[in-house]
Amino acid sequence: MSKPETPTLDLRESYTEKYGFHDEEQHVFKSRRGLDREIVAQISDMKGEPQWMREYRLKALEIFEKKPMPTWGPDLSTIDFQNIYYYVKPTSEESKTWEDVPADMKRTFDKLGIPEAEQKFLAGVGAQYDSEVVYHKIQEKLEKQGVLFLSCDHGLKEHEELFKQYFGTVIPSADNKFAALNSAVWSGGSFIYVPKGVHVDVPLQAYFRINTKDMGQFERTLIIVDEGAYVHYVEGCLPAGEQVSLGHTWVNIETVDRGDVVMDSNGRESRVASTRVLPYKGDMLTIVPLSSANVFRLTPEHPVLTVRRRDVAARRAPRGNWKPEVSSVRLRAAEPEFVPAGQLEAGDFLVFPVSRITRENEALTRDVVRLLGYYLAEGSTYIHKRLHQPVVTLTFSERERESIDEVKALIHAVTGKRAIEVAQPSRHAVNLVVYSQHLRDLCIAHCGQGAAEKRLSREIMELPADLQAQLLETYLKGDGSVYRKRKHTMARACTVSRTLAWQLQELIARQGHFATINVRKGGPDTIQGRAMKRRDQYILYFSHDKQQSQVRKCEDYFLVPINRIDRNPFDGPVFNFELESSPNAYVAGGFAVHNCTAPTYSSDSLHSAVVEIIVKANARCRYTTIQNWSNNVYNLVTKRALAYRDATMEWVDWNLGSKITQKYPSVYMMEPGAHGEILSIAFAGKGQHQDAGGKVIHCAPNTTSKIVSKSISKDGGRAGYRGLVKVQKGAVDCRSNVNCDALILDEASRSDTYPYMEIEEDKVTIGHEATVSKIGDEQLFYLQSRGIGKDEAAGMIVSGFIEPIVKELPMEYAVEMNRLIQLQMEGSVG
Amino acid sequence: MSATPELVIKDLHVGIEGKEILKGLNLEVKRGEIHALMGPNGSGKSTLANTLMGHPKYEVTSGEILFKGESLLEMEADERSRAGLFMAFQYPVAIPGLSVANFLRTALNARLAPSENDGSGAVPKKRGIAPKEFRALLKEKMALLKMDESFAGRYLNDGFSGGEKKRAEILQMAVLKPEIAIMDETDSGLDIDALRIVSDGVNALAGPGMGVLVITHYQRILNYIKPHKVHVMVDGRIQISGGPELALQLESRGYDWVRNGKEAVAR
Ligand SMILES: Nc1ncnc2c1ncn2[C@@H]1O[C@H](COP(=O)(O)OP(=O)(O)OP(=O)(O)O)[C@@H](O)[C@H]1O
Ligand SMILES: [Mg+2]
Repeated sequence: MSKPETPTLDLRESYTEKYGFHDEEQHVFKSRRGLDREIVAQISDMKGEPQWMREYRLKALEIFEKKPMPTWGPDLSTIDFQNIYYYVKPTSEESKTWEDVPADMKRTFDKLGIPEAEQKFLAGVGAQYDSEVVYHKIQEKLEKQGVLFLSCDHGLKEHEELFKQYFGTVIPSADNKFAALNSAVWSGGSFIYVPKGVHVDVPLQAYFRINTKDMGQFERTLIIVDEGAYVHYVEGCLPAGEQVSLGHTWVNIETVDRGDVVMDSNGRESRVASTRVLPYKGDMLTIVPLSSANVFRLTPEHPVLTVRRRDVAARRAPRGNWKPEVSSVRLRAAEPEFVPAGQLEAGDFLVFPVSRITRENEALTRDVVRLLGYYLAEGSTYIHKRLHQPVVTLTFSERERESIDEVKALIHAVTGKRAIEVAQPSRHAVNLVVYSQHLRDLCIAHCGQGAAEKRLSREIMELPADLQAQLLETYLKGDGSVYRKRKHTMARACTVSRTLAWQLQELIARQGHFATINVRKGGPDTIQGRAMKRRDQYILYFSHDKQQSQVRKCEDYFLVPINRIDRNPFDGPVFNFELESSPNAYVAGGFAVHNCTAPTYSSDSLHSAVVEIIVKANARCRYTTIQNWSNNVYNLVTKRALAYRDATMEWVDWNLGSKITQKYPSVYMMEPGAHGEILSIAFAGKGQHQDAGGKVIHCAPNTTSKIVSKSISKDGGRAGYRGLVKVQKGAVDCRSNVNCDALILDEASRSDTYPYMEIEEDKVTIGHEATVSKIGDEQLFYLQSRGIGKDEAAGMIVSGFIEPIVKELPMEYAVEMNRLIQLQMEGSVG
Repeated sequence: MSATPELVIKDLHVGIEGKEILKGLNLEVKRGEIHALMGPNGSGKSTLANTLMGHPKYEVTSGEILFKGESLLEMEADERSRAGLFMAFQYPVAIPGLSVANFLRTALNARLAPSENDGSGAVPKKRGIAPKEFRALLKEKMALLKMDESFAGRYLNDGFSGGEKKRAEILQMAVLKPEIAIMDETDSGLDIDALRIVSDGVNALAGPGMGVLVITHYQRILNYIKPHKVHVMVDGRIQISGGPELALQLESRGYDWVRNGKEAVAR
């Protein structure tokens, strides 16, 4: 096969490209979806925690379950708590050098420039990937001064006394529903202790990344700054890519199971090196090949591996309505090449690669595989309600004596148990029933459950072809029929599982035959006099001894003609994959194409962290967050700090990404002289709702606080400030100043301000100022009249708006922040 | 000096929110010339200036504006600026958070690499003037206008006094070096010393390379910036044009003289 060059798509550099890739899912452990006591206990077990922490978690789970969802603020009703993976452990160990971080993850962090940043301007770095911290390192100098900077898990393990003394004291589990959730399932995050008088002059930074689809990240951070000490901690939350992956050996985006390796256009395994998602508006092509169920969609500029009919035409005049005839000799000799889909014509040949991926599997013996074939066609499994027994049954026609006997023997061989034969004379059927957990497990693991959900496991798909032939044979005895047509043996199989149909096609291809799949559309139907809704049926046809006349078999692929190409307008995101292998091409609809195809799902992730900080007398802590999650993340975070005598706590909180953010970092000023400061910036674009702000609680006299909030909304986004200034009884001579400014970029966008005050003392000074402005035509005109383009002018106004806060960032972040803002601003002024 | 004037305004009619303000205005300004435009409040002087610069609120209902032989009407304000037109605003707006230096460097770079700032939204590439060179240029121009160096770091017009704003407008003009500049009441709000400094600055910039349209109410600035021609605008039209002496006559006689006398003064 030819080795085409990787086409480089010349796309405008965008935010998505920088962060929107994702790695192949590679974890050492992943809890099942959903949340219950068992999951919580499992997390605790995995971590080998002390009993008190395990009980703490379970207690928190109860609180979480009891607490209702908040009824104020953004709409969270779309979060499906049972669809989330609560714990995904990416590696077995945390590393102290980047070399030890698994290549995939290291590549992620490299791309994000983290090791580089560490060298340049950080005192320590932690990197969390899904549920666990995979890298943690602090400068030796600081370590020697007694500074602790560990993952929270290691904090608990190595410094249990200190940890236990403070953990959960600032934010108890019962504080709110999401704090309870975090307390139940927390994992990762940072544990920092800065000893008395130690100044950590350069920032410590932690990076968080969610990679797994439908994953929840629940890191926990605990920072203790002892008397007279100083630390600046920065957290960067980086967006995960849209989570689309390629399926088992063939690619079918709708049915993908992430974590699989992809088959490239040579039929070999290849890793997805990165993916990108881009908005696309234009024609979407639907390519319908001879095997109509193998239809796939792509954008016209995307290359498809093809042999053009006109290049292999026979030197014979076309006949009537027929497409030009092709010369078999020329067709087989033709070197397929990548052609943009938009140039394809009906009659051109697509390349259907045959997988060459083979793995032996000891558990899958000939007997097991044959039995699974029968099960796939005829079986079902359930738990017997009354007996509480796992049951596997297979149903045969009375006439299939031979099969019945074979299955009985196979069951005995595989499970050591005897199947019970139950005759059903009225239906001329025979049921075989066996009570076996082992067999039930095997069947579910390798064949799926329920007729529509039937699918073969990856292990089966990768077995050597001769074993797969066994499965095909027994399967076809059930769901299939083999018949003679003229001189040839034809086989036909029928299933309602689309996935299974495609997998069977793949297995049959490995036997050297191309099976076509056609769909019989479902709909209302009458079966035995009853009105039913029939499901789509996938019907496979192939012949053991005859080549389909229009399909040509080449050495390791089939050439399959295109029957029809449809063009339809499309407006939505399209995906782009990069494979590590060359050619950088994968398989869609069974055929080799180069990246970019329409996604059919998107789903949400949940990030719910808890951060507790204790700033002791005369100490100072600054905590900077650069929240830049992708737009499918719910970001619901509880952050709180206690500041003691003459201590200073500063939150600098940037919220740029996520779908919904609810975050109001707070400072409790516990003793006289304490100072709390919150700088909050929220930027909401299309589909985003940033409900940000802050809380300052004056618990002691002579304390001061300041809140500055800047929110920007555009393209229909909602950004706002929600904040509280509270002065408790006795806290006299306090000063607090709140300043919130909102900038709205267009008519469709919205800004909300909810300032709450609870002042229980008279002798206090409270200032509050709020402004809402729209990007003024006058400002735009002014800048434009100096030769600056409209978009850039708008960007400058926004940058100016947040400048007072950018100034507070270390230079490196300020530069990055301005860049991000400019990216967000592109093309935003009409 | 070129034969055809750089700026040619022909029978210009401009409306705002449905109300006609300019009612058939004709004017030509060449490089190397200084024109003064006077007229009572509300007569439409700023409307003319804003229309020339391309403010989207002002609607040209008929007539033509040619700049260097090409129509300006289809151009956005930023294109007009890059083509060499400049307006010093009567009421400059503040852009908090945007420093004068940053702003001016961006504006300057926009005209050094015009194709990259065509409003397409593309992120401009880092080209244009080197930071060091720019600092030197800015320093020189600020010295010309006797502005304190700290202004470079201040946010554009944010908290500037009236006089400081006017001075900053001329600073921008000095940095951007237009071919035709319109100064809309740059003199109002300036104290006596500042008026001289700003005028000196304008005189240093003016010359064969630049034409200026000075909009003013007062003779005083014209003592420093000597106009070749003076126009008086009343009710959306230029009622009368003449030499520098016209301004002096106006000063003593007031606008009613123009309104009533019409052809009283020779052209
Ligand atoms: N944005 C606007 N909306 C409504 N009316 C406007 C607007 N701009 C100008 N006008 C009206 O147009 C007329 C001309 O105003 P313009 O500002 O051009 O006058 P001017 O000659 O510059 O006056 P001044 O000497 O006071 O600066 C006035 O009646 C003014 O009220
Ligand atoms: Mg005016």
